[in-house]
Amino acid sequence: MTNTAQKLDTIPLVDSGYWSSVTEAIRTEAERLLSSGEVTAVIGYRAGRRSGTALPAIATSPEQARELVFSPGCVNNLALYLTKAKKDVAKKGKVAIVAKGCDLKALAGLMGESQLKREELVIIGVACAGVYGASADRSLPLSEETIARKCRECTVHAPEGVDLTAGSVPALPQLSPEEAEELARLEAMTPRERWAFWTEHFSRCVRCMACRQVCPFCYCEQCYCDRNRPQGVETSPRPAGNTAWHIVRGMHLAGRCAGCAECERACPMDIPLNLLNRKMAQELKELYGHEAGIAPKEKGPLAEYREDDDQSFIK
Amino acid sequence: MHAEKVKHDFEPKIVAFVCTWCTYAGADLAGTSRMQYPSNVRVVKFPCTGRIDPVFILRAFQKGADGILVSGCHPGDCHYMAGNFHARRRFAAFRKLLEFVGVDLARLQFSWVSAAEGGKWVEVVTELTERIRAMGPLEEFKELELEECWSGKIDTPELQEAYKAIP
Repeated sequence: MTNTAQKLDTIPLVDSGYWSSVTEAIRTEAERLLSSGEVTAVIGYRAGRRSGTALPAIATSPEQARELVFSPGCVNNLALYLTKAKKDVAKKGKVAIVAKGCDLKALAGLMGESQLKREELVIIGVACAGVYGASADRSLPLSEETIARKCRECTVHAPEGVDLTAGSVPALPQLSPEEAEELARLEAMTPRERWAFWTEHFSRCVRCMACRQVCPFCYCEQCYCDRNRPQGVETSPRPAGNTAWHIVRGMHLAGRCAGCAECERACPMDIPLNLLNRKMAQELKELYGHEAGIAPKEKGPLAEYREDDDQSFIK
Repeated sequence: MHAEKVKHDFEPKIVAFVCTWCTYAGADLAGTSRMQYPSNVRVVKFPCTGRIDPVFILRAFQKGADGILVSGCHPGDCHYMAGNFHARRRFAAFRKLLEFVGVDLARLQFSWVSAAEGGKWVEVVTELTERIRAMGPLEEFKELELEECWSGKIDTPELQEAYKAIP
């Protein structure tokens, strides 16, 4: 790589004024909502101690609302905090949530599954330019080099159906779709090569279950994969159980996954989990015309049927 | 009465997940009609194809099945009205996932066999058994099952380079 190319790569995608204008819009709205008593809490982000990081934060007073930020470090999908898995948050009346486009898809999915009610929620949508990737150097500004893989192919920069949109989408360059290319590469492989690819990845899995913990759709009170007597999926981090776990996870998210790629970000072993989810989303779109979107759908593709569904694979 | 037995080098293990109302009765009919079909198939009975979880299929593969048959009522004949319609979508998706992970789909057969179709049961089971026999045992899942612990590869090119660099 030549020096010029490197320079091009690290050119910031957006100027820093964009981030501060979004931050200001979120703060103003959160302050208004909290001081008028319209909501009891605002779920958002506040700056982390290291520069370039941010953590999920729940503001319950106008003073705390002044601490909310939006930066490229705001990687988390906050929809997670509204699910059954994190019960204590939503209980105390109406809450507001800061949502990027991909988080918005997760919120829509949860509403479709009757986990949330739109009227109990104030959504502060963010006109999002993208966030850092899992292994990005956070001291650099958001650039083509540091942006998350999912953001390269984002189709929901501007949120829709929200109560307030914070900021406006800046002009963004067209980035190459890395993940789509990787998916196409895998699809072109022979089954044996794919098996080798995935077993190599799955054998690294340590079963920390971070992918399950960060997934807004993994809200079951008891995971099927944790049950023994009878045991469905082995719980120890052995290759056999790992493979089964990741296949089952892919299956349980098929037709539900919002594509926020939090599983991939949270994975300490860098397993490309979102490839599985994307593949399933793509297949279900082909088979049943279903796509995760911003509008809540009442039923997912695997929760309904048509009498004339394809059955060419059944004898 | 009995057909002549042929000795084969490889007898595949076939697991059949069947619904109790149609395919189980169909298999029963094949038996009572004294039709011959390979004894390689182990039948596991479920209330409905809608009860057959993809996990069962994975588990069977891991525990040594070489081929799997999932069979139930024809669409519209489900005892529970819509169980097989839901199963049809689920398995259509599951097949795609397995294919993406790299499992040979020829080892996984789906069929609709009604209670009156003893002949079709024999046909489906025979065909699957012969196909799997020709394909040989399913090694992939068995190898995984045998790997006792974390199997991080220790012969990567990078490591080889590092070994060579040691004076």
